[in-house]
Amino acid sequence: MRERELVRAVDGVSFAIAPGERVGFLGPNGAGKTTTLKMLAGLLYPSAGRVRVAGHVPQRREAAYLDQIMLVMGQKQQLVWDLPPADTFELNRAVYRVSRADFTARVGELSELLELGDLVKKPTRELSLGERMKCELVAALIHRPKVLFLDEPTIGLDVSTQVKVREFIRDYNARHGATLVLTSHYMDDVAALCPRVIVIDQGRLTFDGALDALVREVRPEKRLTLRLRGAIDEEVLRSLGALIERTEERVVLQVPQDALSAAVSRALAAFDVLDLTVEAAPLEEVMSELFARGRAAREGRADAADAADAADAKEPSE
Amino acid sequence: MIARHLAVLGASLRLSFLLAMQYRWDFVLDGVMSIAWTAGAIVPLYLVFEDRAAIAGWTYGEALLVMGWFTLLDGLLKGAINPSLVTVIEQIRNGTLDFVLLKPADAQFLVSTARVHPWRLLSLGASLAIFVYAFRLLGAWPSPGAVLYALATLGAGVLVLYSVWILVISVAFRVVRIDNLRYLFETVFEAGRWPSTVYKGALSIVFTFVIPLALMTTYPAEALLGALEVERFVAGWLGALAFAGLARLVWSRSIAAYTSASS
Repeated sequence: MRERELVRAVDGVSFAIAPGERVGFLGPNGAGKTTTLKMLAGLLYPSAGRVRVAGHVPQRREAAYLDQIMLVMGQKQQLVWDLPPADTFELNRAVYRVSRADFTARVGELSELLELGDLVKKPTRELSLGERMKCELVAALIHRPKVLFLDEPTIGLDVSTQVKVREFIRDYNARHGATLVLTSHYMDDVAALCPRVIVIDQGRLTFDGALDALVREVRPEKRLTLRLRGAIDEEVLRSLGALIERTEERVVLQVPQDALSAAVSRALAAFDVLDLTVEAAPLEEVMSELFARGRAAREGRADAADAADAADAKEPSE
Repeated sequence: MIARHLAVLGASLRLSFLLAMQYRWDFVLDGVMSIAWTAGAIVPLYLVFEDRAAIAGWTYGEALLVMGWFTLLDGLLKGAINPSLVTVIEQIRNGTLDFVLLKPADAQFLVSTARVHPWRLLSLGASLAIFVYAFRLLGAWPSPGAVLYALATLGAGVLVLYSVWILVISVAFRVVRIDNLRYLFETVFEAGRWPSTVYKGALSIVFTFVIPLALMTTYPAEALLGALEVERFVAGWLGALAFAGLARLVWSRSIAAYTSASS
């Protein structure tokens, strides 16, 4: 037998999601995002705690529940590799008991929105990754689910296909009022699809709220980018904010929110400004800072625990 | 509920046939090969009986009946049961079983009907040929009642075979790679070619109670010959039902412990 170590993949994660809401799970690799998603879908049994989705206990996997949900995973596919996607659609039609008329109408509509054309009649193995993902979406939406679980749906896709898939998912949510729960490594996915984010780090919920609130909390500073001409007074420049990037004519500064308007007017007065933009810090950066803080906090705790252990060891035992 | 499962069975069989058509030459060859193997498998039986009239109370013609049922079950095993098994193990390995478990139909049913190799079912024809040959040697044809009785007995054998297979999958949930277990079972199953009374001592106990090969091939052959007492028929069915119940229980537990493959 292999030795097993009990690891708490998820611990103390509590939240409620309203029907029709779009929520993104964020977190570093192995943080427990997918574990949480799979518990919601009913694939994993929580060893403790309660999960309820659409009035059902997911782990019971009752037909009345499964009829309402779908799961799409960017790294796994349900389409039969050697057959055209249309044949898998047929199988799902039987499984979900969709009438022939509904089936034809839905597949037609979904294929049109995703610009699939006749691709659904080509063997899956001959399709590109993006085409396959689009067909996966069709296969998962034939029964018109009310709750969509999407685990990294755009992974590996080229940028234009990512955009297309995002638009499609958003559109489905808008038209059918479906609830959307998404995990993704791509911040763009989350920014485009999810007004609300839940951050899970090391199995713990560390943030639950609006995406812009999260950005404000982690990185209240704004990015001030200037394109300048002529002589630059370095001292004035440095007094505006923290210097992040500096080339011959381009300067990027980090400025606290409340000092921003003063900094902008001083820059305009002091320099010959060709161009000026103010932005929030890039999401990827905000996230890596957030996760780095989480790591630092844990290491601090671990050090404290080690110290306590060392103290215990000094106690004489038996 | 039943309507849904019948519809799923239909759709699933359709997929299997479409897949078989994709690689039809491979599968036809597979079917033809299995018939050739069946023909070859009769040779040792023929040689053993060449210089004696009966072994453990079985004449050549009677032993051929056992072989006939074995051939039929072997076709079922390799045509309907193994393909699904291979499919499921693959799904456990790469995590796509998640999709199966989230379908609103019984997971055991979905898994059991996942894949069929239709060409393998050609060996059902081969078993029919063996029966015809055997009864011509025996010089008497079975009554329709005996045929029905034999088929009813076979039902219990098929149930056991299926249950063993569910147990094998349940093991796959925990250890993922079960190639050797599968080969072990297939090798043990080969012993079902011979009437169970050929085996003595410990083997006889194993083949009657642990892996009831006797129930799968010998009992149906005896039923055809009018030599299977009702008591053994009933006991066989009770045993088969108990086996199926156990398999279902172990299966449910394995599913509950399933942790899915990480993405």
